[in-house]
Amino acid sequence: MALRVFWGAFLFGRKGLIMWDSWEMWVMQIVITPIAQIGFFALLSIYLQYPPSVTQYIVIGNAIQSMSFAAVFAVANITSQDKWQGTLPSTIVTPANRVALFIGRAWFQVLLAALIAAAGLLYAATIFGVSFADADFLGLAVAVILTSVAMTGFGLLISAVGLYMRTALIVANIFLFVTLLLSGVNFPVSVLPTWLQPVSWAIPLTYGTQAVRMAVAGASFTTLLPTLGWEALDALLVLAAGYALFTGFESLSRRTGRFEEY
Amino acid sequence: MGALSELRPGKKTEGYFAKRGQVLKACIILTAKLFFADPQWIIPSIIAPFIFTLVAFFLFGGQASSSSFLLYLVLGSGLMGMWGTTIYGSSNSIGFDRWNGTMESTLAAPVPLSWIALGRVLFNTFEGVINALLILVIGLVWFQVGFGFVNPGLFFLASVSTFLSLSAFGLLMCTVILLSRKGGFITNSMEIPVYIATGTMFPVSILPIAALPLAFLLAPTWGIEAIRLSAIPGYVGLATNYWTDLALLAVETLAYLVLAFVLFKRVESYAKRNGTLDEY
Amino acid sequence: MSQQIPDPRLAIEVIGLTREYSTRSFFGTVSRVTKALDGIDLSVKTGELFGLIGPNGAGKTTTVKILTTLLTQTSGEAYILGLDVRKDLYEIRRRIGIVFGGERGLYNRVSAMDNLRYFSDLYGVDPAVARERVPQLLKAVGLSDRADERVEKYSRGMKQRLHIAKALVHDPELLVLDEPTIGLDPGGARDIRNMIREMQKQGKTILLTTHYMFEAEELCQRVAVISKGRIVALDSPSELKKLVRDISVIELRTYGATADYVELIKRLPNVVRVIADLDSEVQSIRIQSPLGADLLSQVTSSLPGDAKIIDRTIKEPTLEDAYLRLVEE
Repeated sequence: MALRVFWGAFLFGRKGLIMWDSWEMWVMQIVITPIAQIGFFALLSIYLQYPPSVTQYIVIGNAIQSMSFAAVFAVANITSQDKWQGTLPSTIVTPANRVALFIGRAWFQVLLAALIAAAGLLYAATIFGVSFADADFLGLAVAVILTSVAMTGFGLLISAVGLYMRTALIVANIFLFVTLLLSGVNFPVSVLPTWLQPVSWAIPLTYGTQAVRMAVAGASFTTLLPTLGWEALDALLVLAAGYALFTGFESLSRRTGRFEEY
Repeated sequence: MGALSELRPGKKTEGYFAKRGQVLKACIILTAKLFFADPQWIIPSIIAPFIFTLVAFFLFGGQASSSSFLLYLVLGSGLMGMWGTTIYGSSNSIGFDRWNGTMESTLAAPVPLSWIALGRVLFNTFEGVINALLILVIGLVWFQVGFGFVNPGLFFLASVSTFLSLSAFGLLMCTVILLSRKGGFITNSMEIPVYIATGTMFPVSILPIAALPLAFLLAPTWGIEAIRLSAIPGYVGLATNYWTDLALLAVETLAYLVLAFVLFKRVESYAKRNGTLDEY
Repeated sequence: MSQQIPDPRLAIEVIGLTREYSTRSFFGTVSRVTKALDGIDLSVKTGELFGLIGPNGAGKTTTVKILTTLLTQTSGEAYILGLDVRKDLYEIRRRIGIVFGGERGLYNRVSAMDNLRYFSDLYGVDPAVARERVPQLLKAVGLSDRADERVEKYSRGMKQRLHIAKALVHDPELLVLDEPTIGLDPGGARDIRNMIREMQKQGKTILLTTHYMFEAEELCQRVAVISKGRIVALDSPSELKKLVRDISVIELRTYGATADYVELIKRLPNVVRVIADLDSEVQSIRIQSPLGADLLSQVTSSLPGDAKIIDRTIKEPTLEDAYLRLVEE
């Protein structure tokens, strides 16, 4: 039963988001925005006359970060869309297993996010001159997919907030930009003030960028394992928190009657 | 009810500019009221540029010690904020009517659509200015830079001129949004490329030659140069003169306005031929 | 008959109006032409309350859009208050008020007062005049005490009243009401109809489109019936009813009537037409026949055992019967 709900929700997640139905949105999400974002920070690095290794650092970081929109924002959009279209009460009322329902919807986002990150790495190689000669592709693939899952989990966390508060989309938006600053995308976490660093390590993307860089440089899969392990743990915590918040907010919404406070 | 007979007859405003001025004022006020009814959407357009600045700050590392450099950074951030608002808020000014269901009411009004759009655009771009000011203040306080602009008067002039040119650009983007289903896609994709092409964070001179014509055709590029020349001590930039920058800005802004008004006429005749602008 | 065109006594004058929609294929060649309007002629006198009725897709909305300058015609002429809809757009718009049916057309996040002030500026009402007129309008439509609330909190009926206030904000000479009572509860609809009558008393010309035949019959001095892009009849409701004076109408309300029963009635001799609504718990069946009461016994005896007639009435034909005959031909 849970599996059927999951699959149905997956298909709905794919079609239900109006945003993904036109080829223009695909082009924008997979081609234009990643290249523009990578380009912006790469050009900044060139302007500052940093050595190519720094530019490469920045390029890879942004290539991975560019998946965040699909992973985080679009998933947070699911509950917002439900509110917009007024389907939220009908969804809540079904006896369907909560976890299966929402994770099913998000699964499509995971694949999409992984695709965007992969595209970003492709641009890194072809446009921005990053060398993948020594890369460990297995490690790279695992890192990308794991990060994708983890970041989508973050999106689920935010969508749980979206059940009750109007501001889920704004929170998601802010989070997207905060990752630029805190997740080792453009500079190492160590550059940040000490009090801020623990926040960085709570975000799965931070481990992800680190792992991807190591994989591109040629680190073996076993060398990557500790970082990937921490990321997986972080992802589980995020998912658990998301689920807890979700059921918490759901009962809060039922008690106060406030789903549709969009 | 039954009081319809007691209504004062509706005397009308006369005169070309009086009529349009009245419409402009009404649209600015309505857009302002709609904005204040739901102001939380402003947050992303403040957060984004501010975060970009913080990132740039950390990237600039040791170089970020001179106050004029920090001023450069913070101004760039403010300008990105203005651009972002123009691209999202301004260009969607009239598109808002479409998904709000008020497009028919708007098209039925006895004034050209361009004037209604202009009123909306002016407020939305102005909101961008407020954004930019907020970012400027936060940035200057955070980075503890002094407010020592080279020439505050010229800075003000350059800022107002840039605001006007952004409005004209926003108006032009309105026509793109209305005329083509892909309009929204075009304007949304433009965000970061425009930050790059107008030299908000780094000069356009480092762009590949192929991108330069685009950069020079964007009027706000010149406004940004003028702003920096009048604010940052020792700024050289594109090695143009402040007044040359403003002149180029004025010429290009005028061109945007003319093009926008022409395209709006097209929008209106399209709407009348097909009976609707409602296809998204 | 040398009549001046446009005729200054007419508020609306339409001559040979057509409107075609062409769908284009991928390569831009025209693949199909649909005629939404196929030569409409009508005229509305100043101060008249004129109705336009017809089935969905008949061309009512298309006609209204052309007359309100929101759509260009393919051929033919249309004059509003003596002005050409093709040339004198802005002048026409200044002098007419339009009420679109439905929920859209208002700014929901601001108050009724804000909406009316905005539209009065848009229509160029002198601001000093508007300051007095807007509150008066709100009072006239019964929204004074909630004028400062956001429109999103209004009921459907309240929004519709606001639509009417909005259409009147610039004191137009001609009002076009496109299905103004659709979706309203009976009380709300009645309020709107009263307002329409009052506006006519003010000397305003009113063009009304509606689905509700009784509404057209109640309010309109003349009615045009449009079907498949053409006017099939144009006259006062009483004259139109004469088209069906040969029939009487039996109205039944039943429990348990089925589609089979309706078919059975249709096959009875002398039955002209049967219109049935079987969806509710209590079904209503309307039978047109020249026989009237004489048919009643046959109708009741054909009733299956488990069904029951709650109510039966014999009536004079209404505008709806005339309309049905006209559009089904």
